[in-house]
Amino acid sequence: MKKTSLLKTAEVAERAKDSIAASEVSLYHNVLRIKEAHDLEVLGIAFYDYETTIGWSYNADTYFHAASTMKLAVLLGVFREIDRGQLTLESPVHVRNRFTSIVNQQPFMLALDRDSDPFVYTNLGKTMTVYDLAYQMITTSSNLATNLLIEVIGVPTIQRSLEELDINGVKVIRGVEDQAAFDAGLSNEVTAHGLLSLLKIISEERAYSVAASQKMLEIMHDQQFNSGIPKWLPKAARVAHKTGNISTIHHDAGIVYLENRKPYVLVILTAFDAQTGRSSAVAEVSRDIFSTLAGIING
Amino acid sequence: MAEVAAEQGLKIVDAFDLDDELRAILRPGEMIRDPHDRRHRLPRYFYEVPSHEAAKKIRLTPHFGLNEFILVDLREAPRLQEFPRYIPCAVRVLAFYLEQLRAAVGSIHIAVNGGYRSPAHKLAVSATPHMWGTAADLFRIGSAILNDKESITKFNAIAEELAGDLFVMPYGHEIGRADDHMHLDLGYITMLPREVSEDRMEVPQQQPRFAFEDRRGLDRRTLASEMVPPRDQD
Repeated sequence: MKKTSLLKTAEVAERAKDSIAASEVSLYHNVLRIKEAHDLEVLGIAFYDYETTIGWSYNADTYFHAASTMKLAVLLGVFREIDRGQLTLESPVHVRNRFTSIVNQQPFMLALDRDSDPFVYTNLGKTMTVYDLAYQMITTSSNLATNLLIEVIGVPTIQRSLEELDINGVKVIRGVEDQAAFDAGLSNEVTAHGLLSLLKIISEERAYSVAASQKMLEIMHDQQFNSGIPKWLPKAARVAHKTGNISTIHHDAGIVYLENRKPYVLVILTAFDAQTGRSSAVAEVSRDIFSTLAGIING
Repeated sequence: MAEVAAEQGLKIVDAFDLDDELRAILRPGEMIRDPHDRRHRLPRYFYEVPSHEAAKKIRLTPHFGLNEFILVDLREAPRLQEFPRYIPCAVRVLAFYLEQLRAAVGSIHIAVNGGYRSPAHKLAVSATPHMWGTAADLFRIGSAILNDKESITKFNAIAEELAGDLFVMPYGHEIGRADDHMHLDLGYITMLPREVSEDRMEVPQQQPRFAFEDRRGLDRRTLASEMVPPRDQD
């Protein structure tokens, strides 16, 4: 009796392994199909599922222009300083649209029409709290809030926080819209694995403190741009995420919370020709990954 | 300017009487160099502002509340982000001139960090009239945001026309110029309120009241002897 039971267990395990392998192969083919269908130049994907402990990646160590996903690293740096007592969430910051290029030290201003969030500009000359700026930086991707926070904490602090938390694959060297730096080929860069490891640290509440991690998640849950990872997920899904869009880039990186299961962390990075334009590739990859994970669990 | 009734509630303090931390931040009477290597003595007499409500209530002139001159962000020393706050008495003179400018151009708005900044403020790399409470950075006049050459140059000209005492920073990106605000100042004015007696400067204290004064005693006695002969030598 016992022998039969053991045999059955081994058989089930073997079948599960086959099922996972088949799902991975299927996912791989789907990803290639999406890449081709949307004419993507480069695609990078990484995910880790806490429920099944399955991790999967595609081209996950290739560096992409970070676009606004770098704001996750800024958020981490801000909470590092809060944890060290250098800042508080209530600290007031002067809202000023004047920054200095890292290349020629010349001042530059952000163009309101190139920023997805006009709200921070209404506070020019006044103060906003560190929390409000962090909130706008993530939820509406405010470039002005981002540059103000970078000015407060400094780029070296952001890099230090990435190093301290052993996050490789996220490089922050400058603020947003530093055209002189962009022209000199100096941009912030990320890999899918890099952002995955950053998000895992936050989701596991290891980003400086449980309270800091929870606060970061709270902010990320209020994301206003939901055409990427969340688009075709079930309505009950909650996604704490950050997008990154420029004319040739559409990224999304987040933590997906579904009912009655542990969350999974997902990063999808896409680069395409400016003529091709933005597509629904990120949402499609997200939907395929959700289906794959659901299929594995449902056997 | 002295007629503004609400101002009577302001307490004047000699910064030498403040606690160690505040004296280290305000550095009363210390010499400090400006960008041209000229030396200036930091102010010693301050208004003590007890609360945010008081700062809002106290009018230095009909159109300028004291609160407008103490707006700072996290770059100011943490102690000076809390009440009671301290602001050099010469701010009254600045408010008087701003009132004249307001009459000429309409409502004017002082930027955060654009009024009084202590020597411990992170923007303070060298002496600036902001440390004397005699400088203002304006980010808006009426509905005009001052962030381009045209608007800054235009209002600079009006301010200069208004009073020869007013210095304005020309438009530009370099140090000593301004490109996203209008800077005006009255130079390094220190104000000695009529309520204050200067005897502590003239007659060295036998028993200095604070350790800080004790450390500085020699300098101050030297200074006092140069300035005013002691009474017993008359």
